[in-house]
Amino acid sequence: MADSKLIEKHKYMVGIYDHEEKIIKAVKEVQKQGVKVHEVYSPHPIHHIDTYIGHPRTRIPIAAFLFGATGMLLAIWMISYMLAVDWPMIIGGKNFLPIPTMVPVTFEATVLISALGMVTTFFIANNMGPGKKEAMFDRRTTDNRYALIVDLDKNVAKSSEEIKVVLESLGAEANPKIIER
Amino acid sequence: MADHIQYNLEERYEFTPKLRKQLLMVIGIGLLLLVAGAVFLALDTGGGHHGGGEHHGGGHHEGGGGGEEHGYNWMTRIWANFWLNGIFFTEIAVMGVLFLAIQYLAKAGWSASFLRIPTAFGNFLPFTGGVLLIVFLFANHDLFHWTHSSLYDKAGEEYDSIIANKAPFFFWPFESGSFPVFWLARFVLYFVLWYWLYTLIKKQHLAEDNIENRLNVKHYDKATVYSAIFIVIFAVTSSTSAWDWVMSIDTHWFSTMFGWYMFASGWVSGLAVITLAVIYLKEQGYLKMVNENHLHDLGKFMFAFSIFWTYIWFSQFLLIYYANMAEETIYFYERLYGYDGIYSPMLVLNLIINFVFPFLFLMTRDAKRKAIFLKVAAWGILIGHYLDFFVMIMPGTVKENGGFFLVEIGTLLMFIGGFVLVFANTLSKYGLIPKNHPMLEESLHHSI
Amino acid sequence: MQVTSHVREPLVTNGKTMHDITQDICRQVEAKPTLAWLVAFAISVATLLIGSVALASTWWYGIGVWGLNKTIGWAWDITNFVWWVGIGHAGTLISAILLLFRQKWRTSINRAAEAMTIFAVLCAGSFILMHMGRPWLAHWALPLPNTYGSLWVNFNSPLVWDVFAISTYLTVSVVFWYVGLIPDLATIRDRAKITLEENPLLPTDTAEERKAKKAKRRPISAFMYGLLSFGWEGGAKVWARYEYVALILAGLSTPLVLSVHTIVSFDFATSVIPGWHTTIFPPYFVAGAIFSGFAMVLTLMLITRVVFKLEDYITIEHIEVMNKVIILTGSIVGIAYITEFFVAWYSGVEYESYAFINRAFGPYWWAYAAMMTCNVISPQLFWFRTIRRSLVWTFVLSIVVNIGMWFERFVIIVTSLHRDYLPSSWAMFYPTIYDVGDYVFSFGLFFTLFFLFAKFLPVINMAEVKTVLNSTDEKAKKDAEQRIREEQKQTETETVG
Repeated sequence: MADSKLIEKHKYMVGIYDHEEKIIKAVKEVQKQGVKVHEVYSPHPIHHIDTYIGHPRTRIPIAAFLFGATGMLLAIWMISYMLAVDWPMIIGGKNFLPIPTMVPVTFEATVLISALGMVTTFFIANNMGPGKKEAMFDRRTTDNRYALIVDLDKNVAKSSEEIKVVLESLGAEANPKIIER
Repeated sequence: MADHIQYNLEERYEFTPKLRKQLLMVIGIGLLLLVAGAVFLALDTGGGHHGGGEHHGGGHHEGGGGGEEHGYNWMTRIWANFWLNGIFFTEIAVMGVLFLAIQYLAKAGWSASFLRIPTAFGNFLPFTGGVLLIVFLFANHDLFHWTHSSLYDKAGEEYDSIIANKAPFFFWPFESGSFPVFWLARFVLYFVLWYWLYTLIKKQHLAEDNIENRLNVKHYDKATVYSAIFIVIFAVTSSTSAWDWVMSIDTHWFSTMFGWYMFASGWVSGLAVITLAVIYLKEQGYLKMVNENHLHDLGKFMFAFSIFWTYIWFSQFLLIYYANMAEETIYFYERLYGYDGIYSPMLVLNLIINFVFPFLFLMTRDAKRKAIFLKVAAWGILIGHYLDFFVMIMPGTVKENGGFFLVEIGTLLMFIGGFVLVFANTLSKYGLIPKNHPMLEESLHHSI
Repeated sequence: MQVTSHVREPLVTNGKTMHDITQDICRQVEAKPTLAWLVAFAISVATLLIGSVALASTWWYGIGVWGLNKTIGWAWDITNFVWWVGIGHAGTLISAILLLFRQKWRTSINRAAEAMTIFAVLCAGSFILMHMGRPWLAHWALPLPNTYGSLWVNFNSPLVWDVFAISTYLTVSVVFWYVGLIPDLATIRDRAKITLEENPLLPTDTAEERKAKKAKRRPISAFMYGLLSFGWEGGAKVWARYEYVALILAGLSTPLVLSVHTIVSFDFATSVIPGWHTTIFPPYFVAGAIFSGFAMVLTLMLITRVVFKLEDYITIEHIEVMNKVIILTGSIVGIAYITEFFVAWYSGVEYESYAFINRAFGPYWWAYAAMMTCNVISPQLFWFRTIRRSLVWTFVLSIVVNIGMWFERFVIIVTSLHRDYLPSSWAMFYPTIYDVGDYVFSFGLFFTLFFLFAKFLPVINMAEVKTVLNSTDEKAKKDAEQRIREEQKQTETETVG
């Protein structure tokens, strides 16, 4: 098939843990033993776990800054154009374009565009949106369980049996399931 | 992450003779510059001839901010500089106490490991208090327009009904224009209250080092109570002292925001000094437990309160600008256009250094976690807020004779040297780490 | 490892586990509405309907039905507007400023406080629409070219700044709130989907089995919350981004929340009316806003914790901390009152002095007295630990504070206006039934929305409470004490040895 490469399925092993400290230890230990952790799913954010897994640092702040700068420039342009170019009027004896009175609206526009732009970026980057379907490895990870996912196709150095032993030795529930997707 | 690193909790700061010598030299150089500058000024304005009561026609302005009636002489600029630095360093010293008090009241955990640093600030209060008192007693006519008794003489041609209306604020219960009892009583009260509560908090804070059982939080609780009392008193006195010491220089002018504005400026300066002190001590090998996470928080504080200062500054400016009432606008008019515009570059620079610079410079996470960036930012903020106080005080005191040269540099160096001397001396008197502080463990594991 | 000092009181009591949190919070979302909720909701809707009659009349006849006159052009309408906007400050304060200050106690109350914020801002907005008289022309407040040419809105006007500030604030608050909701919506979604997966409808089922399964299945929840949770999975990469988004939103919201009430205060302070034009207005309005917002959060949380049995999540410790914020902000407001009074005298401006003397001793002295008593004096009771930790006292005082804050705005607006520069224009303000009715409308709107929220969305942020659970439960405190005891024993044996 022509597009078999695009829909190539991977096998994932799902180790389930029941405490935050266990999963942190497990991630560190598993990586130390030469197994690459694919992802960790948790009901709440775990401090620094993304760095233990080796995810690159998020660039969301840059997006926020760029959107904010855009909002600021847009507001300055809008106010200048409307008050000083398109229909100049003297109001309250001030200049056509009094800088102090531009500040409030410029500030609000900066915040608005920055916040909306950043959150939209966040949704797009995570492939999230209204009605998007989730692909959960284990539905209990939004309640009280932590899932450590190992991509078996990317960890060919160890057999799935060996990886299973590693996960279990670190406190995972017995017989971690394997999900193909 | 650094779960099992053992720190030396018994470490003490050693005030080396070498540093003492260096600091004394800084003060000496400052004094030399001051004297040189004074000679320079004296020659320039005609040999220190005292012209009290003499009328100067030149340099008359829109008549708001203060008296042109009384002649300027070169000593005024020196007194004004002592007043400026005295106020600036009083603010920094008292903000150290405030920082300590806030940490207790807010049950802050992250800061416990370096709490001894702001604790050492308060000891400078008696010195600045003394300097300010002497300056006031000797030079009140030079600095404060309202001290001239002729303003209150209804028959006299200098009678000023607006200032006469304010007289009780300065002279009560005495007669207007006589001895400013009420003003001086408040002056003494501020320093006595601040210093007294500072010693109370510090005593509990230090007593903790000797407790047998670390689960005993007796001293922690007591320090919290004293902190609450300090904050209540400081909430009122920070505003009233700002009116007394700085707002009344421009005697006609008034702004309800002024107390909070000066507080905001002092608070950022205090935070910058705390940050600098922490970084320099770390560079000398102390405070091993203070890592980039703590620095990050200090950086956040400087960043956030720089913006807060801008907010306060802008709100005050906008309202005065917008309503444009003569009795208020004169303040900014004088600073922007008055006295041949000598203060307007400083006003603009003030906004750039205190807002644009820290805002862009400290915005990223990395900048807040690296000592070198923080050092640059903190020095920038300190210079900026020195300028802020400069622009608050100088136009009303030395008017068109203001400037930044030898006298200014000399006085500033003397105060810097004195502050560091007292700070280092105080710091060497007790352990550098509050080893039994109930929050210390949180601070050691602080990670953001 | 999160380390907690032994001096911190636990924030989650009774040994709750993560699963308990999920159960306790999801319970009222998943269960049928209780009688108490139905009654409360019915009362709110009834209030809304009664208020709607007044609102309809206001719009039908025009704002002439209010008690305004030529001298007093703003009274109840703007008082109510500022009051509601002020209340709408607490949510963002709790979720943004306290996030920046890493206050863990905020996790149990931020969700409800943010929801309250949004509803309060909507109520405030409703007064803007009412006050316009012709709400169908509300878009004229936006920078759109005028029908008769290209005359734009006046960007020098604080009222235009208000349009921007409040709409931005509403938008960002909704976004912040919704981003925080997503992980919890996913929890509810997954619980519903588990019921579908565990009870599959098979063709082989008997009628009995099918009935039993259908009773357990919750397909509507699964669909609705699935739709709303945006496909949330909770991977580490997404959480890391999520934390950054929350942090930056907090960083943006903090100046935003300050700017909103600052700009509201500019509505007054940029003018040259004695009593309005004073430079302290911006920060003092912000402090007052936080003050009233916290009081409203307390009122609502004290009810919610009892009705939904959340005493283990909203503990006395939470209430005490919030009461401390009340003392702080109440005292700041008090200092601002005194500062204004002092500077009115010190300035030597006779109009200004008169305005303040008139406030305190003029015909509206009772409003001034109410404001002083409720806002400055009553919160000082919280200096007593027993009062701070008493539910009854807190509940009563939280309402007292909001009454006081309403009077504050009334005092500022009406007493400054009712004495014109022209003594022949001096007047008094008497509210009409429509003034009252429109206020009732806003209460109806507020509580209707709040009860809908409380029923259909999780009132406590489960994910955040779970984040801090290990460092804030009773075990964390005991562990900290244990650690110290062991360390001390160790040093003792070392010195003996």
